[in-house]
Amino acid sequence: MSTRAKVFTGLAIYVVLIVAVAVIFGWTRDDNKAFQPQNEFKLDDWISLGVFSINKAVMYVVIAGALTVGTMVWIANRMQARPNRVQTLVELLYSLMRDNITRGNMDDKMAAKWFPFIGTIFLFIWFSNMIGYIPLPTNTHEKFDLFGMQIPSFALYAATANLSIPLVLALVVWISYNVEGIRAKGVVGYLKSLIPQGVHGPMAGFIFVLEFFSNVMRLMSLSVRLFANILAGHLIILFMGGALVVLLGIEALGVITLPMGVVLFLFEVGLVATLQAFIFATLTAIYLGTAVAEEH
Amino acid sequence: MSVIATIPTILASADSGSEDSGGSFLVQPGIGLMVWTLLVFAIAMFLLGKFAFPKIAEALDERQRKITESIDAAERGRKEAEELAAEYREQLQKARAESEEIISRARRSADLHESESKDAAKKQREEILDQAKRDSEAEARRVVGELRSDVASLIVDATAKVTRKTLTADEQNRLLDDALGEIDFSKLSTEGGR
Repeated sequence: MSTRAKVFTGLAIYVVLIVAVAVIFGWTRDDNKAFQPQNEFKLDDWISLGVFSINKAVMYVVIAGALTVGTMVWIANRMQARPNRVQTLVELLYSLMRDNITRGNMDDKMAAKWFPFIGTIFLFIWFSNMIGYIPLPTNTHEKFDLFGMQIPSFALYAATANLSIPLVLALVVWISYNVEGIRAKGVVGYLKSLIPQGVHGPMAGFIFVLEFFSNVMRLMSLSVRLFANILAGHLIILFMGGALVVLLGIEALGVITLPMGVVLFLFEVGLVATLQAFIFATLTAIYLGTAVAEEH
Repeated sequence: MSVIATIPTILASADSGSEDSGGSFLVQPGIGLMVWTLLVFAIAMFLLGKFAFPKIAEALDERQRKITESIDAAERGRKEAEELAAEYREQLQKARAESEEIISRARRSADLHESESKDAAKKQREEILDQAKRDSEAEARRVVGELRSDVASLIVDATAKVTRKTLTADEQNRLLDDALGEIDFSKLSTEGGR
């Protein structure tokens, strides 16, 4: 059977299955008001410590941090002259972080100083994103019984799908590059350097205001880009994976949405998680590099 | 499609439900979580910067150094091998030329020797032949001499018997000269010499 024939056969089976399920179970709506999809992202205090209460997001942050440090230190301690596959991958990642992201955007002296920061940002966000696609028993609203133990339901969650986490990282980045810029050029020099070269006269004042706000807006764009991407990814996986079926009460819809859910899951894990970490780290390096660069 | 069209209304109705189920918490930053994140991030950065990154960098640099070194070494080795090969080639050429020289010299000397020995052999053979010729001639001469004296005495005896007189020395000599002159001894001597 040729590839084309296989694809068409698969599609035909898929369509026939949808029709069959729709005919057998009926295509009737039964709106479900009890299930709230956004509650998947709700944070309940597990250990109450006032504002510093431990919740799901804190747990994910801690897991991500521990995994980042644990994995990297473990691999760093078994670096060999003849690398195995994992080491090759980590070395590739390390070279990407050090040579492409960091050294590609700033001079070597500054790169040496800021590489640990940029590297940690990349790895921390990457691990945060990746563990977001592993189902963990975090849903304390819905519990299931396992040999008498009340286990929270397994659910997908990502620390980076909560605005606070990208925001605080973006804040650290924002403060870092502005401080570096001021240290390199002085307050007045740094503010002046916000105006692009070649702009003079009254236009300069107008452009300065624009550039200043654009600089402040980086705080928003940097954090929201990561947060919204991961939240949207998780939401769409959630909807395709069953939330839509539950909300509308149309069981047959699951035949359509579940394969899409699988495809989207793979897309998120394979591309978005790494891409967003890469973008965050690269922008950090670019901001730091341009803040101290002579010409803007 | 009616199903798709109803999604916004469902989400809206979900939002307008009880206060607890609103979606605004999704975009509301929490100070506590931010502090936790900062703490975890700072610790992670410290630990990575102290225990992970330097070791990885060291290993990578070490590998790079080793690769550079081994490439250099390989380059050096290749150059050395090339030089050695060139040297060998030169030596080989020299040896070949030398051996050719030796062979040709040997051939020349062999030729020379051969012709010399051939000449010597020829000479020797000729000498031997000459000697043999001389010997045989001397022998022939001796035999002819003997024959002659024998014949002479026979002739003298026979003549004395026939003439019943004793010949004087002069008569004998004349008689012998006449008789022997008629016999060609040279024929004998040449046949005997061959």
